[in-house]
Amino acid sequence: MTDSFEHLIRSTLTDLAEEAPIVHDQLSRAERRVRNRRRATVTMGALGTLAAILIATPLALAGTGSDQPRPAAPNPAVEPNLPAPTPSGPAVEPGPVAPSPPGVPGRPGPRVEPGPPGVPGRPGPTVEPSPSGPIAVPGVPGVPGGAPAPGVPGRPGPTVKPSPSEPVAVPSPAA
Amino acid sequence: MTWGVCIGDNETGWWVDEDERARLAEFVASRTPALMRVAYLLTGNRNAAEDLFQSALARTIPKWGSIRHADPEGYLRVVMYREQVSWWRRLRRWRETPLNPADEPVGADPSGGSDVRLAMRAALRHLPPAQRTVVVLRYYEDLPEARVAELLGCSVGTVRSRTHRAVTRLRELLPEIELLEVRR
Repeated sequence: MTDSFEHLIRSTLTDLAEEAPIVHDQLSRAERRVRNRRRATVTMGALGTLAAILIATPLALAGTGSDQPRPAAPNPAVEPNLPAPTPSGPAVEPGPVAPSPPGVPGRPGPRVEPGPPGVPGRPGPTVEPSPSGPIAVPGVPGVPGGAPAPGVPGRPGPTVKPSPSEPVAVPSPAA
Repeated sequence: MTWGVCIGDNETGWWVDEDERARLAEFVASRTPALMRVAYLLTGNRNAAEDLFQSALARTIPKWGSIRHADPEGYLRVVMYREQVSWWRRLRRWRETPLNPADEPVGADPSGGSDVRLAMRAALRHLPPAQRTVVVLRYYEDLPEARVAELLGCSVGTVRSRTHRAVTRLRELLPEIELLEVRR
């Protein structure tokens, strides 16, 4: 029974195979399929790469600055610390001038009590001139500068006449 | 030997020898009838058979440079067998909507018009692709189970079980096979 059934399957398949369609020019159609498949592969690859970049870029940027808070985020714990280091550094240089005494209590002050930090808060502005001090070293000549400054515009008045020749007649006020 | 003939186009094609291109065309022209018969048996549908053959050929063409001296027909047949039972192809086939279930041409039966063979032909059409492929390889190609397992990339036990299920299914679809045999 099994042999006859299998023989029936074989004969049926053989007859069925004879009804296969006759086709022509399969190569060119297959080549067209290959082209389309390659284009689809390239397109999908490009899209995948683009999607990966779009997804990974924000994550990478967020991962790099994860240690610090956002720049614009208000953090009260950071603000009182900011004046403390600023006077500490320059306080050494201008020490001989004036901020040296507040500088000494300033260091233990802000760390122990909130009151003293107020004190060094003022030296803060004193610190600003201190760095400018070296730059304002000419401030010493500022003393003489104070006197001639108003005087200069006064005298140049008459010197305006020769001014066409040399408007920067600085020597004139000096004279 | 002139390198410059392109299968495809200049943008996405690949460059092969002109002689190889001629050999490929000759191979396709000579083996298409036999391969189309197998494709027709595997699919049971004329359009699906042509689609299967073209799909397998499209997968074979890029490999032509490496298989031309080996067994290109065997490679193409394996691609057809595996493409027929592949999950993606099954999904695409499921999405298709057949316009006419009786897709086969209605005409004179070249085999003599026996009822038994007509019934068997209809029963073969109802087999799942995997079982149908095993039946074709075992009973049309006359391949042993080990060779079928090698071609399909499965174990011999899988081939046996699929064959057994296919034959059982055919018997279920043909309950009156004894009557038809007697009538014949």
